[in-house]
Amino acid sequence: MTHALQLKNVRKAYQGHVAVKGLDLEVPKGSVFGLLGPNGAGKTTSIRMAMDIIGPDTGEVLILGQKADKPLRDRIGYMPEERGLYQKMIVEELLVFMAELKGVNPAESRKRMLPWLEKLGLSGWQKKKANELSKGMQQKVQFIQTLLHDPDILILDEPMSGLDPVGTNVMRDAMIELSRAGKTLIVSSHQMATVEQMCDRVVLINKGEKVLDGRVTDIKASYGKNTVNLAFEGDGSFLRTVPGVASVNDHGRYAELKLGPGADPQAILRAASEKLRITKFEVVEPSLHDIFIERVTEVPA
Amino acid sequence: MSRDILVIAKREFIERVRTKAFVIGTIIGPIFMAGIMIVPAFMASRLAKSVTITVIDAEGSLRSLVEESLASTGAPAEEAASSEARPRNQGSTQFSVKPPVGADLPAQREAAKQAVLKGTLDVYVVLPPDVLTESKAEYYAKSVTDFEGIRAVDRAIEKAVFGKRISAAGIDPAHVAALTKPLDLKRLRVSDKGEQEDRGVSFFLSLILVMMIYMGTLMWGQVVMTGVIEEKSNRVVEVIVSSTTPRNLLFGKLVGVGGAGLLQFGIWILALVGVSAASGSMAFLSGIDLPEINPVLIAAFPIFFLLGFFLYASLYAAIGAAVNTIQEAQNFIFPVMLPIIMAMVCWPVVMRAPASNISVVLSLIPFMTPILMFLRMSVLMPPVWQIALSVVLTSLTIAMVIWVAARIYRVGILMYGKPPNFPEMVRWVRHG
Repeated sequence: MTHALQLKNVRKAYQGHVAVKGLDLEVPKGSVFGLLGPNGAGKTTSIRMAMDIIGPDTGEVLILGQKADKPLRDRIGYMPEERGLYQKMIVEELLVFMAELKGVNPAESRKRMLPWLEKLGLSGWQKKKANELSKGMQQKVQFIQTLLHDPDILILDEPMSGLDPVGTNVMRDAMIELSRAGKTLIVSSHQMATVEQMCDRVVLINKGEKVLDGRVTDIKASYGKNTVNLAFEGDGSFLRTVPGVASVNDHGRYAELKLGPGADPQAILRAASEKLRITKFEVVEPSLHDIFIERVTEVPA
Repeated sequence: MSRDILVIAKREFIERVRTKAFVIGTIIGPIFMAGIMIVPAFMASRLAKSVTITVIDAEGSLRSLVEESLASTGAPAEEAASSEARPRNQGSTQFSVKPPVGADLPAQREAAKQAVLKGTLDVYVVLPPDVLTESKAEYYAKSVTDFEGIRAVDRAIEKAVFGKRISAAGIDPAHVAALTKPLDLKRLRVSDKGEQEDRGVSFFLSLILVMMIYMGTLMWGQVVMTGVIEEKSNRVVEVIVSSTTPRNLLFGKLVGVGGAGLLQFGIWILALVGVSAASGSMAFLSGIDLPEINPVLIAAFPIFFLLGFFLYASLYAAIGAAVNTIQEAQNFIFPVMLPIIMAMVCWPVVMRAPASNISVVLSLIPFMTPILMFLRMSVLMPPVWQIALSVVLTSLTIAMVIWVAARIYRVGILMYGKPPNFPEMVRWVRHG
């Protein structure tokens, strides 16, 4: 299988610290790929190296199976986390300009942008200056800008941040549509729920190193069904003292209980129902969120 | 590669040209320049002053002589004789003499003083009894800053006093006048096209062009810097460098902004040429000396402007990339501006001796070439090889400066936070 994007033993050091320590990354074609990691883990640096914004100290970047060059990079649409628009430009001209840099002629861009503007609820706004748009709208313009040259691969760094719930849904639908059209999506995000629901593969990096890599279902299965989700009424603070419970993520009226080895979920349900009114009980695999926290807060090597 | 440069240049050009500042500047520039060229000439030629004057003579024998001499100052007869040789736009004062009123000297002085205070008289002069021996007289007026008028009065009294002394010595004053006829020194420029009288005005235009290169380089350089800082603070830059190289971005920006600058100057120069050409047929301009425009200078102007612009604007771009705000940039701007300011400081040296060794050397220093070589061309056309050499040297320097700037730019545009110090920048250049 050819990969959409491949980083081979890529390394980057700045004065004093190593940002990325020999990272291997393989993004299968057509996948929705989650790049996870805490702040400062080296995600942005890795993406920037893939886009040739920063040159790696060592290592290699392959795009669609070939050594990366400018025409291949034009096959990628990149929406950085640090993003913005030329504030004084008219949206339409801005989109034309960015697409032209990727080799799309202006007439073609003008035609292509219309359905996207409509899908994202921006019809009619393309004649306005960027600074007349709200922040969320500007972000959607940025998204259109990322895909106007019809790239095979989209790299989206925190695509949902700053969007309201409606905007988040619109963005999610657009991403799903792109994925169904056969595009490869690389999503870097802290919003674990989104990643969990959208991505089929994830890589978790921490301190410049890969700590997890695989299909989301496989990763979760490897942890087993060791988690109990509990919705309740009453004071749940005693839950952490129930035998067999290793740790509790307490939301007040909802808790995720991580079980110790060999613990029986039924015994825990009985203990809980003695003091609480249980409205929901579920034995599940751990959420990506929990796995993330666990792997990132593990005792540093 | 080059496609990206063109796309970026096009955007920069269109965005600059569309701004209100550009449109207003383009319109106001020629009006302003026409103003500074035409208005003084116009004023000088049209506002020849008429001054009423009274001569109060305590010595007793000089009044008529002084009055006669005053009346002939700036008289048509005198001017007609020398109008070809003398700049007409040097306004002259015309005196109309009013005889003193009053029986005795104190009464005359009092009457004249009242007249000046009332405004019916502009000036009165008092010649003391011992004026022939002491050579002292007094000038009274509400304001004593009309230097030209004062000089004319001074000359008139002098003429009368000298005449009197010369007669007293037994010599014929007419004979002395003939012997001491003042000399009129014409200024003529020798060039291939023959001898040409230079009244200073065509040179004035050259100075405007040199000033335009100076101001244009700094102004449009700042525009580039501000643009880079904006891209950085807008966070647009990361998207762009994911589509093209920082070097292409820098180069496209220079080409686009330089083009906008060139367009504005082009319009200005066309307007200037138009005004000069039309001045002959415009009634209100006739009789005013407008600069003649040297076509070689007009042709050289865009070349030297672009040399200056590319050299300094790439440095400005590097500064813009290294800092986060315009305030932070202020610290870096001065060292960059220093060479071009030095060039302006060397201006008088070059103007006085345009072909001297020092002028040749100064005008060949790339950072000074855009100003000083152009200045030399407007004062005294240097040998072609010197012009060519200066262009080649400056172009090579530009290539080097752009290479250095592009490296600072490449690292700097993605750096936020504390701006780098000088050693850090050197490291960026070495490892960028």
